[in-house]
Amino acid sequence: MKQHSDKALQFLKDEPRADWHDQTLWIVRQKRDKAARSVADWEKLRHQASQVKDHVLSNLDQYLIQFEKQAVANGAIVHWAEDADEFNHIILDIIKDKSASRVVKSKSMLTEECGLNPFLEKNGVEIVDTDLGERIIQFRKEAPSHIVLPAIHLKKEEIGELFHEKLGTEEGNSDPTYLTSAARAHLREKFLSAEIALTGANFAVAETGTVVVCTNEGNADMGVHSARVQVHCMGIEKIIPRTQDLGVFTRLLARNAIGQPITTYTSHYRKPKPGGEMHIVIVDNGRSARLGNATYRNSLKCIRCGGCMNTCPVFRRSGGHSYGYVIPGPIGAILAPCTDIKKHKDLPFASSLCGSCSNVCPVEIDITNQLYRWRQEISEKKLFPPLKRYVLKVAGFAFSKGSIYDFSGKMARLALRILPRAIVYHRINTWGWERELPAVPSESFKEWYKKNSQKEGGQK
Amino acid sequence: MSRDKILQRLKKNAPASGSLPVYAAKTDLLSKELLLSSFKENLAVSGGKWIELDRREDISSAISENYPMVADVTKQDVWEEYSPSCSKEKLASLDTLMIEGQVGVAENGAIWLDESNFPNRLSPFIAKNLIIVLDIARITNNMHEAYQQIKMEDTGFGVFISGPSKTADIEQSLVYGAHGPVSLLVVLIRMTSL
Repeated sequence: MKQHSDKALQFLKDEPRADWHDQTLWIVRQKRDKAARSVADWEKLRHQASQVKDHVLSNLDQYLIQFEKQAVANGAIVHWAEDADEFNHIILDIIKDKSASRVVKSKSMLTEECGLNPFLEKNGVEIVDTDLGERIIQFRKEAPSHIVLPAIHLKKEEIGELFHEKLGTEEGNSDPTYLTSAARAHLREKFLSAEIALTGANFAVAETGTVVVCTNEGNADMGVHSARVQVHCMGIEKIIPRTQDLGVFTRLLARNAIGQPITTYTSHYRKPKPGGEMHIVIVDNGRSARLGNATYRNSLKCIRCGGCMNTCPVFRRSGGHSYGYVIPGPIGAILAPCTDIKKHKDLPFASSLCGSCSNVCPVEIDITNQLYRWRQEISEKKLFPPLKRYVLKVAGFAFSKGSIYDFSGKMARLALRILPRAIVYHRINTWGWERELPAVPSESFKEWYKKNSQKEGGQK
Repeated sequence: MSRDKILQRLKKNAPASGSLPVYAAKTDLLSKELLLSSFKENLAVSGGKWIELDRREDISSAISENYPMVADVTKQDVWEEYSPSCSKEKLASLDTLMIEGQVGVAENGAIWLDESNFPNRLSPFIAKNLIIVLDIARITNNMHEAYQQIKMEDTGFGVFISGPSKTADIEQSLVYGAHGPVSLLVVLIRMTSL
């Protein structure tokens, strides 16, 4: 199977596109910084958010029971799904029960995680993604490459071509305003005829049984209020205890995600519309088991803002598809091995461990530490490729013995000076494929320090 | 049953509990004028426009030129026309909807409304233009204060709206009117002297 680095290499072959991707996400990161600085007590907010999430993880069973009780009292129907398969069947059963064939869906990473769309299509149900970016990638039969900006890997010319083929827009016209208005007309029709509307959930408030969904487009509301039946899909970790806690999260989310002070719409769904029906599907799919793992349980605090992706130097230069998991980027590199360590053993290494992701995380997840822990675990389980294992074994031996380390350093400096280029930049030296080694110094730091500390009378 | 299995696992795997944060009742003491200017500024960032009037009676003359087709649901007969039973097609042809907002938020230009403010849940999302009338005295500092004023348990559906529907999914180019309103106008009224 192709590794992250292989797919990143592929992504980087189109240099102008890779540069555009890198710079565009960096602009989003800068907008995020500006928005964060506009809030005087930003760091306090992050800490409060983290505190709320920690508290919830410790009492999740109680809060879920409270949430369910309130939601039922509000007139909603609550379902529980142990895994992806049960979730998909619950949704299919709701659709069949209503004899419905027209289903719209606003953004939900959970449904991506569970593979809902392919499952429904296999069962003959047409499901239309209504977020513009998601509709684009649905037309292309692709996965989102970013959890907040699903079509960020595409150029407008490609979308123009796609819409010409799918929606009959003018050939060669790739003006974003023109293309958006074509999508508006197309999706308006889907909204008006929808029988069932699915949404994800950003937050679920235990004390009032409220599901909160944030969008800029208003597509969640267009679907929910247009269709008779509304279905909200949430992972168990979306719970927050009180309405007042929403104050913290709604201040953080959009600022950290895209540098906006708030999303255009922050919708609070509590009761079905007159004559309507409201379902809430609560999904575990491995989360409760992860709660028992002290090392990685922190990742359950994630509010899916995508901030760690925008700031990550590896994500920006490799693109979301290179990760091969539904949630890409630094947080995805923690979540993916939780689901299948063998399949995703490369992801914790798709990081420079620079720490930027941990610094921007709105709920203070120690992403870098968790990536580091994964690397150790993957090494202990001997999941490295044989060459890397051998090299690390040799390096580990040299690093643990001072004299051998000094000697190998000397040899390496000598070798790099006299060996022909073809031998140093050999196929095995993967590091040297795209990079030049720095100029070889004449002495090691240890030698330099010994000489200079004596000269200046410093301590040894 | 999946429900019980999940709850049991959560109980078994729960780490030791910490306490919930206690939020300050009032975060900052800003003057009403400062809140107003901050609200306007942030609303503009989100693509919303505003006008300021002294009296509610002046609204229709102030907006009639730009919004001749306004459906003012603060009037009882218009409210009934757009009741929950009215057809989606009728709602889809709504040119301009005018509704009352409850709470404004200075830090982000958002306004809280719930279903007591519109006759039909779909209406504020499907109208081509949206006008929200807001009492200047109801502008609060931030989301913490806004949530303190909202009675969540009294409503079936409520929403913060901070601008027209928008998207930047095509190469990050900002376009208004992704699905619903292409414009948002907030009519700020000084009902009480500040």
